[in-house]
Amino acid sequence: MFNAKHVDQLRRIVGKDNVLATQEELLAYSYDATNMWQHLPDVVVLPTNANQISDILKLANESRIPVTPRGGGTNVSGGSIPIKGGIVLCTTRMNRIIEINRTNLNATVEPGVILQDLQEALAKEGLFFPPDPQSAQGCTMGGVVAENSGGPSCLKYGVAKQYVLGLEVVLADGRIVKLGGLTPKNRTGYELAMLFTGSEGTLGVISKITLRLLPSQKSSQTIVAVISDVAVAGETVTEIIASGVLPSKVEFVDNWTFEKFRGLLPDEILDKSQVILLIQVDGLPETVEAEAQQVVDICQSRAGEVKVAQNQAEADRYWQARTAHFSDISSRTHTIVNEDVSVPRDKIADFIKLGQESAKKYDVPISFAGHVGDGNFHPVVLTDSRNKEHYNRSLKCVEEIIEIALSLGGVLSGEHGIGLEKQRFLKKAMDPAAIEIMKAIKDVLDPNHILNPGKIWEETSD
Amino acid sequence: MKTSLNFEQIDRFKEDLDKCTKCGFCMSYCPVYQEEHVESSVARGKIMLIRALLDGTLEATDEMAEQLNRCTLCMTCAENCPAGTQVPAVITAARADKVRLKGLSFPYNIVYRWLLPRRRLFGGVVRLASWFQGIFLPKTEGTIRHLSLFLSALGKGRHIPQIAPKFLRQSVPEINKPPAGVEVKYTVGYFTGCMTDFVFPELGKKIINFLTRNSVEVVVPRGQGCCGAPVFLGAGDFATGRRMADTNVKAFKELDYIITDCATCASAMKDYVKFLADNDDRKREYTEFAGKIKDITEFLVDVLQLPPSAYRVAGEFKGKTVTWHEPCHLGRYLGVKEQPRKILKSIPDIHFVEMPDADRCCGMAGTFSIYFYDLSKKIADKKAASIDSTGADIVVTDCPGCQIQLIDSTTRHGMPQKVMHIMELFE
Ligand SMILES: Cc1cc2nc3c(=O)[nH]c(=O)nc-3n(C[C@H](O)[C@H](O)[C@H](O)COP(=O)(O)OP(=O)(O)OC[C@H]3O[C@@H](n4cnc5c(N)ncnc54)[C@H](O)[C@@H]3O)c2cc1C
Ligand code: SF4
Ligand code: SF4
Repeated sequence: MFNAKHVDQLRRIVGKDNVLATQEELLAYSYDATNMWQHLPDVVVLPTNANQISDILKLANESRIPVTPRGGGTNVSGGSIPIKGGIVLCTTRMNRIIEINRTNLNATVEPGVILQDLQEALAKEGLFFPPDPQSAQGCTMGGVVAENSGGPSCLKYGVAKQYVLGLEVVLADGRIVKLGGLTPKNRTGYELAMLFTGSEGTLGVISKITLRLLPSQKSSQTIVAVISDVAVAGETVTEIIASGVLPSKVEFVDNWTFEKFRGLLPDEILDKSQVILLIQVDGLPETVEAEAQQVVDICQSRAGEVKVAQNQAEADRYWQARTAHFSDISSRTHTIVNEDVSVPRDKIADFIKLGQESAKKYDVPISFAGHVGDGNFHPVVLTDSRNKEHYNRSLKCVEEIIEIALSLGGVLSGEHGIGLEKQRFLKKAMDPAAIEIMKAIKDVLDPNHILNPGKIWEETSD
Repeated sequence: MKTSLNFEQIDRFKEDLDKCTKCGFCMSYCPVYQEEHVESSVARGKIMLIRALLDGTLEATDEMAEQLNRCTLCMTCAENCPAGTQVPAVITAARADKVRLKGLSFPYNIVYRWLLPRRRLFGGVVRLASWFQGIFLPKTEGTIRHLSLFLSALGKGRHIPQIAPKFLRQSVPEINKPPAGVEVKYTVGYFTGCMTDFVFPELGKKIINFLTRNSVEVVVPRGQGCCGAPVFLGAGDFATGRRMADTNVKAFKELDYIITDCATCASAMKDYVKFLADNDDRKREYTEFAGKIKDITEFLVDVLQLPPSAYRVAGEFKGKTVTWHEPCHLGRYLGVKEQPRKILKSIPDIHFVEMPDADRCCGMAGTFSIYFYDLSKKIADKKAASIDSTGADIVVTDCPGCQIQLIDSTTRHGMPQKVMHIMELFE
């Protein structure tokens, strides 16, 4: 267990300036972007290289001190909250882009690099890293890999795991291991780099990442369609994809967050509509034009208003309005319960319809937004945790919505991870044998359970 | 448990405090965070600290003040926050509550409570400082010398310009009429600010000449004082700030326009109403006062609408390459972004280049740079690199505070660029 002596030992490892221990500093590491959880660590360390991480973990392992890895603290599942106290191991001072290689189409980075900074550096070289979590301004590459994040463009390009070529990971006992490599093809043994991708900081600390990249797209077009009815919106998406076009993004927001689009789209149409679809196609200019037209044609027959952004600035305004959704909806009420289910694309309309019925049954307000192109939805129930009765009804509603998603063949979490927030649903969403395998892997790699304890599965009495 | 009665100023900005959704986007905008990479530096961390202060989890300790003071009030987080959280306002309010609860610490109490509000006396002390500066401290590059007593009393050394031998107020009449034959189209009040008055009086004279030549009668009210920014924004002393605000409101009562050459002074004075209006009269007076304030470039472009030919570049700067540093207080606070660029782009005698991240905070932020000089220097280093990348001969700006910071950092890096106020370019 942790005691004051450990602070000095940690200072010896990482230097005095890289250890934070005042009450004020600790409070600033007690939360992430999740609403409902907060817990103080005993100490925060900011290592600057893998050897320091190794020494920190050796010390923690010997003394059985919990260690919670943390990047930007932008996750929305409670993943980086030090729920058992102990050490927060924060990577934000390991933020070097080590190499960008245009010939190999790869980049090697430290885990604390902020995604947006990486994207800007890559753009200068004519390259891009496709996964685009909407928290790019704050999330780190370590967090992106540990959460296996993805954003709107995963429809066409996939999520983080499709771009992880190699990892350097520090294990709980301090061993530094290299997994994967620099090449897109690599059939050497088990895919161990994948084991740590999406592991939510429970198996090891990622200290270096090699990523696969793509050349920047030459051109893109943004199309906005305002649609009167949710079910029609669902059909529109299905039809676009069935028509052979693969947009890079198809996003959905409902009329809870139309405010951000006022001034960009006609009020009279917004007033009588339920859904805005934002669609982006990208590629070579000729293809983009043809595909955009195809999308416009499909939307036209169903939407009250279809607009093609005339330039990048206009497109940016639509996408900013989309990015602001989380803040917008959060600002409407004291507490939001934000879910992250994913359903097969052909079940989107059913899912929304059933979800709305459930909200009606429990008499709670609900908003839907998400990456509809890939079926990943964020149903958000608006409530107030101070009003116990309303809050309980909201939790019940959310529970039912998750069951609806699972019964339609969907999954519990599309992108946010399990963390603390979703562990109570894990047993419903995962084969019990699979949970047992996860636990067995955990026991092999972290037998003393020091790494991010209390996450992913509900603890029994161990 | 504390009652939030103790935090009457923060309470006024409670809505901003509640707005933050903890998304963490501010990490990619905050200049302080980008140097330190710790959560208590960034807007989200500060919001959470203040929330903890309100709910009684944490107390108003010195450490708390230290964390909240690690902010340049640059507004970058607020400008980019998807939830529209006005973090700088909350931090200012928290500083004020801390002062109310704990008082100011030496030497701030002497300088801020007592000296700054007394303009004549302050001038005298600055003069004394300049005398000491001449005797005891080594001269450095060109006109730059080390330390004035005033700044050394507050903090650590930096390369700053010499205190002027003669202050602006001593060099120009109260009423400055256009030259014979030029009709008066506007009469404006000129708020000179401490820096122009004591350090850059030549700039003040240039501005008065420029305006009078262009049909503007310029009044320099003798009753004006310091804008109060270091006192109520920097140190959180609202009571003294209010006295200073009232002084300025009175000094400019009869005038329709108040022209400033310092973006910080202008925005601080516009903010009287937000922070200092404690009754309806003050609210009305401060609102009226705010409506009259115009930055010099804003006045020239939007009100006078001068043609490019009116901007006669002084001979020594003809043919030079010029870049522009946008002060936080000008761009983000006053919303004056296009006007100076319009002027610079329209002048045929110079070559204008936009520097990368021209609107990034230079790290000066008055009191901040004194408390945290090392941090302030690191932020300035990024600005110096931006300036350097343009290959410009001159960097101009519109805030004497930024000017001092840029002089300090270009000097430290041995860079050739001359740092000037935009109005110094002209005859
Ligand atoms: C407004 C908003 C929008 C979002 N949009 C999306 C979205 O579109 N798609 C999406 O997928 N997610 C989204 N997220 C969630 C979140 O931003 C991502 O999961 C992100 O990748 C987390 O990165 P981080 O650096 O903030 O990690 P943190 O929050 O610090 O940590 C997340 C998890 O990773 C672990 N971890 C962090 N660094 C390491 C490391 N070096 N080694 C091992 N484990 C580590 C932590 O222990 C924790 O379990 C959004 C969040 C917000 C607030
Ligand atoms: S201040 Fe704004 S940008 Fe920063 S965390 Fe809060 S809501 Fe997000
Ligand atoms: S005002 Fe500037 S320095 Fe202060 S928290 Fe916001 S971005 Fe950071």
